[in-house]
Amino acid sequence: MWKKIVPVIFIFYIFVLLQNSFFNHFSLFGVAPNLVFTLFFLLVFFSPSKLEVILLAVIAGFFIDIFSYTYVGPSIILLIILSILLKKVLSSLKNTAESYPFIYFLPLFVIFLLAYILLKDLYLYFLDPNKMVINLSLNIIYSLVYSSIFATAFFFIYKRWLKFTK
Amino acid sequence: MNAISKFSINKKKRNWPKFLIILGAILLFLIILNIFVSPVRNYFFTISSAIQKTFWTAGTSSSGLISSLLKSGSLTKENEDLKKQNQNLLYQVAFLQSIEQGNRAQSDVSISCQNTGFQFVMAGVIGLDKDILSIGKGSVDGVSIGMPVINQQNVLVGKVFKVYKNFSDIMLISNKNSVINVKVQQQNIASEIIIVNPDGTTTTSTDPAPETVEIAGVIRGSGALSAYLDLIPVNSEINSDDVLVTSSLEKSFPKDLLVGKITQNIKNDQKPFQQAKISLFFDVKNADNVFVITNYKKDN
Repeated sequence: MWKKIVPVIFIFYIFVLLQNSFFNHFSLFGVAPNLVFTLFFLLVFFSPSKLEVILLAVIAGFFIDIFSYTYVGPSIILLIILSILLKKVLSSLKNTAESYPFIYFLPLFVIFLLAYILLKDLYLYFLDPNKMVINLSLNIIYSLVYSSIFATAFFFIYKRWLKFTK
Repeated sequence: MNAISKFSINKKKRNWPKFLIILGAILLFLIILNIFVSPVRNYFFTISSAIQKTFWTAGTSSSGLISSLLKSGSLTKENEDLKKQNQNLLYQVAFLQSIEQGNRAQSDVSISCQNTGFQFVMAGVIGLDKDILSIGKGSVDGVSIGMPVINQQNVLVGKVFKVYKNFSDIMLISNKNSVINVKVQQQNIASEIIIVNPDGTTTTSTDPAPETVEIAGVIRGSGALSAYLDLIPVNSEINSDDVLVTSSLEKSFPKDLLVGKITQNIKNDQKPFQQAKISLFFDVKNADNVFVITNYKKDN
């Protein structure tokens, strides 16, 4: 597990930089893809270890929060909750990790990303000192669609990589 | 069977302390991290700024390349140049209208103050997260919270929202929390004068010095790099392509800075005010540098 964590930290770091700089130039109706959440979800989806899942949530949440304007913590806590919830959902599906088909992955990704966006907005409005206004608009749908495209690509690349490493 | 169920309950019970220890460790880590959040964040931005700036520049050039491939040849560049020229001209129009309408002497003084009195800090754009722009200048460069930020065409970008040692966060005017006072400057309003001749016939002529109409309103950010115009009185006539500039009511920003133009008027009889869709002049995708006005005070 620890061998895997070091490259994962590096990839999360590169992804957060890409998300905040490069991909803002390719925004869809002003919305950039959420690469860090997409990678986090993919790794949690395929991860068998609970400890690893929590560690992934801490790393991904840390990078999201450190490169944003809020306190460090809300994304970490939200991602821990969502990762535990995702693991519960996946265990109820009674499939082995590698046999999860894409038809499970994509709907779950959309639901969990939506939950993350809404919970983060609620946090920003009620608990953040800056009191960011909640504005439920089409931007959320654009964000879901745009991130789903990347999630789809990542899913097939990661599956191929898993096959290759075995 | 009984033994198995007892075992599983015991296992669950044994998991609880482990879970609480992990949770406690994470909470402790977060508390400590938040105490030192400013230097930690500054450290991360300092070590990342070079890579982030490279990614930002790569994004600017590759998006330009793709759009020029999608369109044709030099059209994009030409369009950009024309946009810049147009923004400069619009600024001049706004500038001249302000002189025309107000007391000329007073305007001259205030404008000369605006043109010569302001000190700027040029800062490179390094990142963007939810209508918060990160720039590579911070408190050591004289940047502080609330300072207005513009681009080289005098287009309003936003204001400084958070300052760290070596970088700052700018709240763009498209941020959901941003509300600014603006005035709508209507262009080419050539009022027609009806002259009644001694023989009873009428002739119409165009007023050689048309009166410019300025309508007060506010721009509210709607997120995702967009904003809309609000609180325009229902009896005021606003049109597409009307230019929006910061008004003198706005205390956070100098007046007459270009903000955007109206693209579509939304009139609803049930509402006491009109709204309008607008297009902001500041294009974050093509922004490499912005300018922080360091000596503009709210009381100016």
